[in-house]
Amino acid sequence: MDDADHRQLVSLLAGDLAWLEDHCRRQPALARDAGQLRLAAALVRNVAGPFLDGGAITPLHVAVVGGAGAGKSTVVNFLVGSAVAEANPQAGYTRHPTAYLQSTTASGWSGHLGFLGSLRKLDQPAPADLDQDVYQVRRVPGDAASPLGDVIVWDCPDMTTWAASGYVPRLIEVAALADVIVYVASDERYNDEMPTQFLHLLVRAGKAVVVVLTKMSEAQTGRIVEHFEGEVLSRLPKATSGRPAVPVLAVPYLTSEQLADPAGKAAVHRIPLINQVMVLTDPTTARKRTVDHALQYLSTACGELLDVAQQDLAAMDAWRGLVQSSRADFDNRYRTEFLNGEGFRRFDEARTRLLDLLELPGAGRAFAMTLFVLRMPYRGLRSLIEKALIRPAAVNVGEAQVLEGSFRAWIDQLRAEAIRRADSNPLWKHISQGFNAGLTDAAHDQFQALLHSHQLSSAEEIEGAARAVTAGLEQNPAALASLRAGKLLLDVAAIILAIWAGGLDWPTIVYIFLFVSLAHQVVELIVRQYVEGRRSAIRSRKMSIVSHDVSGPMADWLARWPATGGSAYEKLQGALRRVPDSIAQLRRLAEPRLRA
Amino acid sequence: MTDASPTAEPLLRTLSPLLHALERDLRGWLDGAHRQPLSLIARAALEGMARDLGRQSDALDVERPLLIVMLMGGTGVGKSTLLNALAGGAVAQASFTRPTTRDPVVYYHESVKPDRFDEALRHCRLVPHDRPNLQQKIIVDTPDLDSNDIANRDKLIALLPVADIVLYVGSQEKYHDRLGWDLFKEQRKRRAFAFVLNKWDRCLHSGALGLRPDQDLLRDLKDEGFAEPRLFRTMAQAWVDAPAPSGLPAGEQFAELRDWLELGLTRLEIEAVKARGVGQLLAQLDHGLDQARPSDLTAEAERTRTAWDEVLREEADTSGTVLVSTLEPYSAEIEHHFRVEGQQKFRGLMSAYLKLTTKLRYAGTSLRDKIPLVPRMEKKVETPTNWNLAAFAHECTRVAGERVLNQRAGALVNRLLVEADRQRFPLPLLNGPTNEAARTDWQVRYDRALMEALAEVERIRTRPRGIRKLLHVSVVTLSNILPELVFVASFLLLLWRFFDPQSVGYKVTSLDLLLPFALTLFVLVVLQLLSALLLPVRWSSVRDEFHRQLVSRLETELAAVYGPIPGDTAAALLRERAKVDELLTGVREVRAWLETRQTLASVAGLYGD
Repeated sequence: MDDADHRQLVSLLAGDLAWLEDHCRRQPALARDAGQLRLAAALVRNVAGPFLDGGAITPLHVAVVGGAGAGKSTVVNFLVGSAVAEANPQAGYTRHPTAYLQSTTASGWSGHLGFLGSLRKLDQPAPADLDQDVYQVRRVPGDAASPLGDVIVWDCPDMTTWAASGYVPRLIEVAALADVIVYVASDERYNDEMPTQFLHLLVRAGKAVVVVLTKMSEAQTGRIVEHFEGEVLSRLPKATSGRPAVPVLAVPYLTSEQLADPAGKAAVHRIPLINQVMVLTDPTTARKRTVDHALQYLSTACGELLDVAQQDLAAMDAWRGLVQSSRADFDNRYRTEFLNGEGFRRFDEARTRLLDLLELPGAGRAFAMTLFVLRMPYRGLRSLIEKALIRPAAVNVGEAQVLEGSFRAWIDQLRAEAIRRADSNPLWKHISQGFNAGLTDAAHDQFQALLHSHQLSSAEEIEGAARAVTAGLEQNPAALASLRAGKLLLDVAAIILAIWAGGLDWPTIVYIFLFVSLAHQVVELIVRQYVEGRRSAIRSRKMSIVSHDVSGPMADWLARWPATGGSAYEKLQGALRRVPDSIAQLRRLAEPRLRA
Repeated sequence: MTDASPTAEPLLRTLSPLLHALERDLRGWLDGAHRQPLSLIARAALEGMARDLGRQSDALDVERPLLIVMLMGGTGVGKSTLLNALAGGAVAQASFTRPTTRDPVVYYHESVKPDRFDEALRHCRLVPHDRPNLQQKIIVDTPDLDSNDIANRDKLIALLPVADIVLYVGSQEKYHDRLGWDLFKEQRKRRAFAFVLNKWDRCLHSGALGLRPDQDLLRDLKDEGFAEPRLFRTMAQAWVDAPAPSGLPAGEQFAELRDWLELGLTRLEIEAVKARGVGQLLAQLDHGLDQARPSDLTAEAERTRTAWDEVLREEADTSGTVLVSTLEPYSAEIEHHFRVEGQQKFRGLMSAYLKLTTKLRYAGTSLRDKIPLVPRMEKKVETPTNWNLAAFAHECTRVAGERVLNQRAGALVNRLLVEADRQRFPLPLLNGPTNEAARTDWQVRYDRALMEALAEVERIRTRPRGIRKLLHVSVVTLSNILPELVFVASFLLLLWRFFDPQSVGYKVTSLDLLLPFALTLFVLVVLQLLSALLLPVRWSSVRDEFHRQLVSRLETELAAVYGPIPGDTAAALLRERAKVDELLTGVREVRAWLETRQTLASVAGLYGD
């Protein structure tokens, strides 16, 4: 696999996850899962992608995150060593991420394709409240000897203000990129729900986290750290890589002089933070750890990420089930309304023909004629009885009419059900809208096309089957001759039997009439039995044609319909199929480099 | 506050029974049956409003109504500190661990009996005081709305409906937080809001960029329609630490807040707030009821009915064809039956002759059921000699039902629903009634239609009208008289010839004796031919007549069962609509009454547009 393939895999997986994220955002009930999907996509883009591409393992990224007004800028200044980020009293002022790097840091780290997803790099410095999908890079003076010389520090927007729902995706994008997260919480915020949920997400994704608690009075420091550890840290989820050790540092409320001079007047609070971050940013291991944890997280959370599609899949299954059960109704209607009442009169002709065939040809004709005459009273009697006993068959509705009616009932059932369930899931809404927008006609055309080919083949089929009743014998003179001989033998035997029974007296004539007729009746019964067998064979054959060639393909077509024509469900199915494979492949590819 | 204020007291007390009546009507409607499905959310909202009506009506039914001011905000913004500062002592627990307040605190005047409190307040921590300026006011400190302890949020949300004025407390960090802001937006149409920006000292950080938090907050409030909100910038902690702190930063307004609560909110203002609160509740109710008002579907019902008529006609036609085709095998029996019925009119010789020929002719129809090998229907069909119409019809519909009709019943409902949907009639309203109709025993109805149609055709056949009647009567009369006449006449002729004096010696041969019989037989045959020719009783000629009768009967049956459904549903909806309109009229009357009497000038800032 070369680099182009890597890139394609990465962009495919990130694209699928991004599509699922969009899908979630469109459904209010699933909006909560969107953040997790965004994080997964960003991990693929910003962590796995550059690593597979063979990008350098430095510089490292440290992201400073936290609620509005918690003191993120102060912490950024601590990390950089001078007051570069401006602390601002307006809550939620920062609306896009800003990277701070020392002038000695190499450039080119942001050159990877798809880096930070939809976030665009600003060429000019801009105020932090620019509310667009952008990020900016600010170089600050520094020297190679500074403790975090080769680390890029990201100042991120908050996640607590009411405007944040618009820019939290930007925050997630940078948090996914980071090798170390510095989570800032003030004395007001440290037990808040929204920042805590964000912390949980990052810890689950295997990020190395340092917590900085801010703004308390010096005297309360110990108690607050203890309370935070008891209330928040003890409830952290277990990450794939094990329960994380999260160091907690406290920075009390600082005076404006301390804020202005982080490296000097605030050094006593800054140095422990620098030490903690340095431990986690060892250039030889940090990036590999980030990649390893990210891939582990993707593998284990994969099922959970795809859970968002569960309801859609359940609705899809329900639709398929409905199509199949209504298909059974269609087959059943065809069977009872048409097939069971259909006589296939063509076979009656075949029977007569078969009987004719068994008569002797040529010179034997005279003998056959004699027997025919002898059987005359029997034939007369039989036709009388038949006339008295046989009722006319019930009139059958035409096959085309039955098929058409059953199909309409099928479509009506699907449509009524789709309308009934339209409020339960978007899929049903999609289907019922489809019915309003021409699905009925499309299905009807499809059905007609199937029917067209079916009717041709089945008409031929019946004709062929009826002809086959006699054709086999006509083409096989030996068999025909032996059958004729058999019949002749039977007739002769009947005559001999009559003469033997009656002697040379007048009852012989009665006996001859009787026995000859009897012999013929036996032959006729055998022939009838044979033809009836063929007839019921064609009946079941016809049923299987309708069921396999018409209703089967039709049901498949209908069941597939929601996931065709570029609909969301087609994409959903594709994404669900691809995501687990892509993640596994990504992990396999990264493994050798991680172990190197 | 204007000079219209003297009406304030009777206003609130009069309002109480009105609200009570509205509550009763609303509950009555909510508990009643609904054809139009009411969504869970809409129902919950309306039930909440009914509760609020009851609550307000109880709260106003007193000499001097109490004003409830409720603190609301995130953890750590200083709600409890603020209350402590107002109380001048530690009445609420304030601490640096988050979240602090788990149990709400109710700060009230000792003269007020706690049993006057709303249910929701009675379970809170009650702290009485003796400050006359706060006599009519209750200040409630609530748990937070944003910590990891979700139960706190639930407690707050349970308390909020009681509040007349919500004091939205924010700090520099939290004034902008989503959870609080969402709750504010949800509640702002229901009650008065005033705002506190606590920890004012922290807002004064000199940032070169960005707005100062109070300006930011004012801008957001303006966007929400609060042009001149009451915003107090406070440093509550300083006022707790010292009763009269010094060195406060510029713009600190705690004293103003205290004054507003103690002195600014006079009795008249309290009443105005109360009245305004009721007005807001009524406006919400108006909106909620308007949303829940069923739509007028008369036109849709009309169109649906027309579309359905077409479908039902088609259905009747198909069912009729199917039923007639199942009668096909019994055409011989039916012909026989009609013939026997037709013969009832004949008398004497003709009658005897016809009976004999019919018996011979239809020997098979009775014979068939006596021969075991012949295929036949499962149940014995009565032969026409003792014709049981009910059993016969039942058997036919059973066979037809098994083959075709049972499957069509479900398909018909689906077809009707699809048609209704096409006419934009909402399906959820039709599902129930159509399924109900499909469950009716159609076989019984088919039986009846079949029997009636048979009887009707029989009546037409045996009691014809017009020219056919004339023919019929003349043929019958002729047949009843002529054979006997011919028989007697030919005998008389024979006798006359025997006794004729002119033909003495005439020998009577056996041929002569047969002559009257032969002649009579000949006449009988001719008459039979004549009646067969003029009054035909062939299945093929009865069939169409029968089909027509059957279809028209089935059409009536189907139309009777399915036809009225859309109209009935629309009518039921209209009745429900009228009921909602009645409620709405009541609500609007009270609103109008309230608006003409209330004075709002001094409290307008507490409400947005």
